[in-house]
Amino acid sequence: MKEFLATFEILFNNAIFYYAMVVMASYVMLTLLSAIEMNGYMKKNSYLNYREILVSPLAPSVSVLAPAYNEEATIIDNIRSLLSLHYGNYEVIIINDGSTDSTFRRMFDYYQLEKVDFAVDYQIGCNDVRGVYKSKLPSFSKLTVVDKLNGGKSDALNAGINVAAKDLLLCIDVDCIVQEDAILKLAKPYLEEKYQVIATGGVVRIANSCKVEDGKLVEVNMPKNLWPRFQVLEYIRAFLMGRMAWSRLNGLLIISGAMGLFDKSVVIKVGGYDHNTVGEDMELVVRMRRYMYEQDRRFKVVYIPDPLCWTEAPADLSILGRQRNRWTRGNLETLWAHKDLFFNPRYGILGMLSYPYWLFFEWLAPIMEFLGLSVFIILVIMGNVNLEFSLILMSMVYFFSVTLSTVAILFEEMSYQQYTKGTDLIKLLLAAFLEPILYHPLTIFWAVQGNIQKLLGKNSWGAMTRKGFKENKIPIKTEQTTTT
Amino acid sequence: MNFFETIFKYIGDTYTDRLSYFPTNIRVSLLIILFCIVAMVELYIYILFKRASKNREEKQIKYWKEHIDNMLANVVIYDESDDTDEIIAHFYPKIKKMPLRNPIVNNILTTEILTYHKNFTGKVPEVLAVLFHKLDLDKKSRKKINNKNWETKIEGIREANEMEITDMAEEIVKYTDDENGLLRMEAQAAYIKLSPSNPFHFLDRAQERILDWHQVVLFEIITKNKKLAIPSFSKWLRSPNDTVVMLCLKLIDHFMQFDAAEEVQRLLKHHNPKIVKKSINIIGKLELEDAEKHMFGVYFDHPDEIKLEILNSIGKISSGNYAEFLSSRIYSADTKIKMEAMYAIKNDPDDGENKLKEIFKQTTAENRTLIKHVLDNRIKP
Repeated sequence: MKEFLATFEILFNNAIFYYAMVVMASYVMLTLLSAIEMNGYMKKNSYLNYREILVSPLAPSVSVLAPAYNEEATIIDNIRSLLSLHYGNYEVIIINDGSTDSTFRRMFDYYQLEKVDFAVDYQIGCNDVRGVYKSKLPSFSKLTVVDKLNGGKSDALNAGINVAAKDLLLCIDVDCIVQEDAILKLAKPYLEEKYQVIATGGVVRIANSCKVEDGKLVEVNMPKNLWPRFQVLEYIRAFLMGRMAWSRLNGLLIISGAMGLFDKSVVIKVGGYDHNTVGEDMELVVRMRRYMYEQDRRFKVVYIPDPLCWTEAPADLSILGRQRNRWTRGNLETLWAHKDLFFNPRYGILGMLSYPYWLFFEWLAPIMEFLGLSVFIILVIMGNVNLEFSLILMSMVYFFSVTLSTVAILFEEMSYQQYTKGTDLIKLLLAAFLEPILYHPLTIFWAVQGNIQKLLGKNSWGAMTRKGFKENKIPIKTEQTTTT
Repeated sequence: MNFFETIFKYIGDTYTDRLSYFPTNIRVSLLIILFCIVAMVELYIYILFKRASKNREEKQIKYWKEHIDNMLANVVIYDESDDTDEIIAHFYPKIKKMPLRNPIVNNILTTEILTYHKNFTGKVPEVLAVLFHKLDLDKKSRKKINNKNWETKIEGIREANEMEITDMAEEIVKYTDDENGLLRMEAQAAYIKLSPSNPFHFLDRAQERILDWHQVVLFEIITKNKKLAIPSFSKWLRSPNDTVVMLCLKLIDHFMQFDAAEEVQRLLKHHNPKIVKKSINIIGKLELEDAEKHMFGVYFDHPDEIKLEILNSIGKISSGNYAEFLSSRIYSADTKIKMEAMYAIKNDPDDGENKLKEIFKQTTAENRTLIKHVLDNRIKP
């Protein structure tokens, strides 16, 4: 028995070590690719004037789709903010997804809505639309409100797509703070790439403790609460490092649910958002990509590093846990639904690299970490562990993780430097040291919990609330990051 | 030995005496830890240093920008009757006293002169052009244009463009077909302004693609420049470069060049569907009744996207020659085709709406819903 345990410990140590090595090597590669992509983007864009798209009649037309469910506290400001985006050719479609509060009534009164004889072409499946409304006031001519039976976020977005009249779809969370030039920046890749661009995404940032006035961000601050602060670091790492690198490889699998610009024709061809998953944002991108491969069409999914959308991160651990739990279930559902992509050369980089990476390093990594930690604890209890070696292995992972976060902070400093105060920078650097000890174990726990719940058949989003920028309780529909 | 001494001794021993006795994975882990710690310390120093130097630079920029701005603002007070040489004689020594070798000061001065030159008319741009020349900034721009680095070349081209240094056009034309897209676009934009005799010469030699984004930029420059002599863009509609054809079609559309009608109709048989679609769109806007039969002739050979454009154009022309065809299309299986046909019928200025109302009485329930939609003027098509 003792011999067996000793052999098991060696095997266990080696397995953890080699898995960690592969994960770390992949992160180093992604960091390098991201640095190249960021550098290229920053260089190129310092010479560009976005005003030209703003005023040009040749700019692509955009429908902004924002589902709203029980948003009575903020809906008026949210719509006002969306109507003042800097872009010429766009419309705003608010989809009232069967709200049970006064969301619709408030919109109806404030924007002086009236029902129009809109014939909805149900190109993609969604619950019945009760009515389409336009404002009587010419100043709100860009606004369309769709009132429909409740069906969830995916269903609401599909209804919006059926009503949209423009060529591109900007799908957003209505309660996010959108930068005024967001459409300009997201639309530009559609005009400059050699191949057809099917989706673009921008960086989503954490708005906790930031100063917001009239639906606009006026001052960026580091969150006072420690949990959102860890998420700031996590988001910077995920967006500026992970997604930029995958954009470089043209292997992106996810565009933020909080904000993404899509080619409407492709979205309709693939049947819109899937109602049966809680990870609808990732699932849509995967389906769009595989459709393009199946049609033998060359295409790109582009990520840009500009901070275009600010969202409130959960500051409460139980809400955060539910969010991460849902992300894990969403990942798993998408991976399972598209399991035939796994190392399938027909799907190019999607099948040969993106999908396996997501499976092995995004989905499997927390499970491996959980198993590793559990076995370690069991071995410690049984007295069959070399504590020194185990601590060295853990220290390696810890220091690598801190270094990676520090590189991410460097990227932030070299690019948009949103946190201008010296104290904010120091807080962020300190968070990098604490995150692997305080925050990361929780994310592993929630990921494992999500996997178990998925196996047990749980499919709901889970109720969530957040403080809101005006101390209002509003629903939370935040952004999914990767663990990179 | 206190706690810290024990720790340091342990770390020291681990990395020296004991290192060779560890198994390979532990040795590798120890080296990675060491590498990470060194990298982290360096990153921290670099980030903090970068922050400090950036703050210092920002202060410097703020100071010099204010100083140069104040000086150039005084140029604005002069009017047409003042003598340029006198104004220059007043400002030149003051500017010369500035530390122009400092790249920050030099850059701010150049940028501010360009901005004032762009934003003012009359005496101001004239004085600034002389000042730019006298300070040898034009020579620097020329040097930049011939630099190896594409970013520097762009800077030089922009300066030449803003200051309207026409004698640099010949140096710039070679970049109008450069493989670097940004450089190419910048050179094309500058060339249009700097070569008054033949501003569109670059279209004759364009082999590289003029990306959609570049087309937006060029379109803005060409359509907003009042001084530009606009040629007939139909002469480039036979270009082997599809992007040149596309740009010219957009310009024909904007300038409503009826002389291009024949060439535009020829493009209905073009291999590129985007060009076909745009040609159909122009035929509609120019209301070329003669082209209706050609569009009708190719209607059934094309995908839905082109069919929609054809219906839209027939609606804009509204000759009445294809009224039956439009009416038949409202029984198509595709909702979009139906709706476009209804809009086309509605477009008839004589009695389009009445025709639709007549159809409403006799058609299917689905079509009635669509007709209601089309007749509702609050909904934009």
